[in-house]
Amino acid sequence: MTDTAPASRIPHPASRTGAQVMCEALVREDVEVMFGIPGGAIMPFYHAMWEYRDRLRHVLCRHEQGAGHAAEGYARSTGKPGVCIATSGPGATNLVTPIANAWMDSTPLVAITGQVSSAVLGKDAFQETDITGITLPITKHNYRCTRAEDLPSIFREAFHIARTGRPGPVLIDVTKDAQQARVVPNWDVRIHVPGFRAPRGVDPCAVREAARLLAGASKPLILAGQGVIISGAVAELRQLAERTGIPVVTTLHGIGAFPEDHPLSIGMPGMHGWVHVNRAIQECDVLLSIGARFDDRVTGKASTFAPRARVIHVDIDPSEIGKNVKVAVAIIADARCALSALLDETPPRDAAIWLRTIRETQATHQHRQPYLRRPEATEDELMPHDVYAALDAELNARGGYRVVTDVGQHQMWAAQLIEWRRPRTHITSGGAGTMGFAVPAAMGAAIAHSDETIWAIVGDGGFQMTNQELATIHQEGIRNVKIAIVNNGYLGMVRQWQQLFEGRRYSGTPLSGPSFASLAGAYGLRGFTIDRIEDAREAIRAAWDHDGSAVLDFRVEREANVFPLVPPGSSIGEMITREGAHA
Amino acid sequence: MRHTLIALVEDRPGALNRVLGLLRGRGLGVYSVAIGDSEKPGVKRTTVLVDTDVAEQMIKQLNRLIEVLEVIDVTHAQYVVRETALVKINAPEPLREEIRAVAEGFGARIIGGCTQTVVVEMTDTPDRLGELIERAKSFGPCETMRSGSLAMALGAPAQRTNATVPEEASAAWWAQADGVS
Repeated sequence: MTDTAPASRIPHPASRTGAQVMCEALVREDVEVMFGIPGGAIMPFYHAMWEYRDRLRHVLCRHEQGAGHAAEGYARSTGKPGVCIATSGPGATNLVTPIANAWMDSTPLVAITGQVSSAVLGKDAFQETDITGITLPITKHNYRCTRAEDLPSIFREAFHIARTGRPGPVLIDVTKDAQQARVVPNWDVRIHVPGFRAPRGVDPCAVREAARLLAGASKPLILAGQGVIISGAVAELRQLAERTGIPVVTTLHGIGAFPEDHPLSIGMPGMHGWVHVNRAIQECDVLLSIGARFDDRVTGKASTFAPRARVIHVDIDPSEIGKNVKVAVAIIADARCALSALLDETPPRDAAIWLRTIRETQATHQHRQPYLRRPEATEDELMPHDVYAALDAELNARGGYRVVTDVGQHQMWAAQLIEWRRPRTHITSGGAGTMGFAVPAAMGAAIAHSDETIWAIVGDGGFQMTNQELATIHQEGIRNVKIAIVNNGYLGMVRQWQQLFEGRRYSGTPLSGPSFASLAGAYGLRGFTIDRIEDAREAIRAAWDHDGSAVLDFRVEREANVFPLVPPGSSIGEMITREGAHA
Repeated sequence: MRHTLIALVEDRPGALNRVLGLLRGRGLGVYSVAIGDSEKPGVKRTTVLVDTDVAEQMIKQLNRLIEVLEVIDVTHAQYVVRETALVKINAPEPLREEIRAVAEGFGARIIGGCTQTVVVEMTDTPDRLGELIERAKSFGPCETMRSGSLAMALGAPAQRTNATVPEEASAAWWAQADGVS
């Protein structure tokens, strides 16, 4: 009797699909770019994404692992959550490695995965994997969303959790029917996560006790970790160090928290730390650790770490306190709040005599340190150290750079041989030690900082794990990624251990590869091959000046080693300074 | 050593899985888990008996889970513990009277049965249940089902040890809350 459709069939004018709600939520969270690969279960989201393409840039990666690491590179270089997207099943499982990496390195990451429709959940549907189950131990939190009306609050919470307190990865798994369903989204969402406690304020008694310990110490030391960078406490750290004259050690992830050209900076500790730094840790009487978690690569055998020190541990995560080392004073707080409070309580002092002792140890070992100088080799052989010397000179002459390193020998050389000065300029995979991190992470950082030059330093092993992202770099017109491959034809760090601890049985470590310069060319990037010392600096300049991304294949001496080295399971007081020599 | 933990956990999908996954990831032996509604809507109260030497550390990691609202370790506190067991005892006619007497002696009740067996229900301490089960075995093969221990701290309700950091917390408070030396 009438030709109007029943009322229920007319969509409410304010109704949106779940997929549109997801896009809108991302815009509301200030997301500007996301890295991903579409597939069946996430197609509705990609369909909606098209309408948002002027506000949400999508970077199509070649593998989900690349997408995840790219989001990490974006996050680590900006401090904002990185976003990566995958479909259900294999797409989601390919994100597991970057999620685990972000978990270990406290990187804010939001991973969005499509899931099969709720009607077939648990029925082994095509491309169904229980990704929330799989990522349970490697996420701060994860969500499976089966109802479109829950999306606004889930996204709000997920971003809040990812970036608040100690940052970390959060996964949101959205079933296909939830992406397709129409809802009138309710954006009036209050974050209500009573079980998520981020410390507020600083315990003044703990701060006073810490200040008292520092004032009474004759050999105090500051150990600065990534927490200083995450909380933006670089200026406060510098103030505290300068007011008290306390020498500063920076962990691998703490690199950039304190400028290495500062007179109070003494360098990196741990397995490949400097002799004088590890000695200082073993001798110090008060160790103020700020935003560092006493990883075993820093402590060596934990029971012998800093035996004379009373440890003041500043960390935002209470579960880090007392986990690996005994703590005298715990300050559970954001590093910047804690440092500000400490600055108020700590009178000026100096530690000049102590610093002089450390510098004397440094001088004693310096002239015998082949790891700082160019190691002896036949004259025209290109040593890794030559590459780093050229790179360091060029980086610090030009500025406007960030460096992303992968995992292995080249990573330790970069930490040791480049003089680091600014926060968030050194980005690496530390806790998880994920080979294949550097190339995609550099791509993510390059998108976040298009006005800077992003150097990836990577071994030939790690490069070949994710080099497919060169295609992404080319397709996206990313012109500021320069990839330096320290190519020694081995999985070098493993080979080094085999050489030193396993009688040179090079089992499974010799590694071949294509001509990386030709490969770069095939992907539409500029390629360089460098095998002579005198060409290194010139090639770096040419690559830097080249208006486009580039790959530099440095063919270095195959069996160069990273020294010094604390043998696995030993105290950091026991270091190998070259083959057969101990300090 | 065995620790008795009482946790308040938000009733969200996967919450219990997360708690148990964390214990599993640390390689801890879980003796029992009991979970059920608490007095607060949407919140479960659970009792976990777990063998660990690093209870403080584990509790802090449990507290990192979003759904975990509170964890207390009552091992060294004043608390009561009860567990329920159902024991199916081999009970041919000639043994019935004796079984009835044993059950009465333990303060247990026979709550069902057939011609061959009876099911005895008993609520008591875990040790006492163990004694009943040992005794039941003397009648022949038996089947047991235990609820897992329920624990409750004595004293005023709503005693919280891991609430948000107080603004003016003392060092002593932190030492107690975090077990630092």
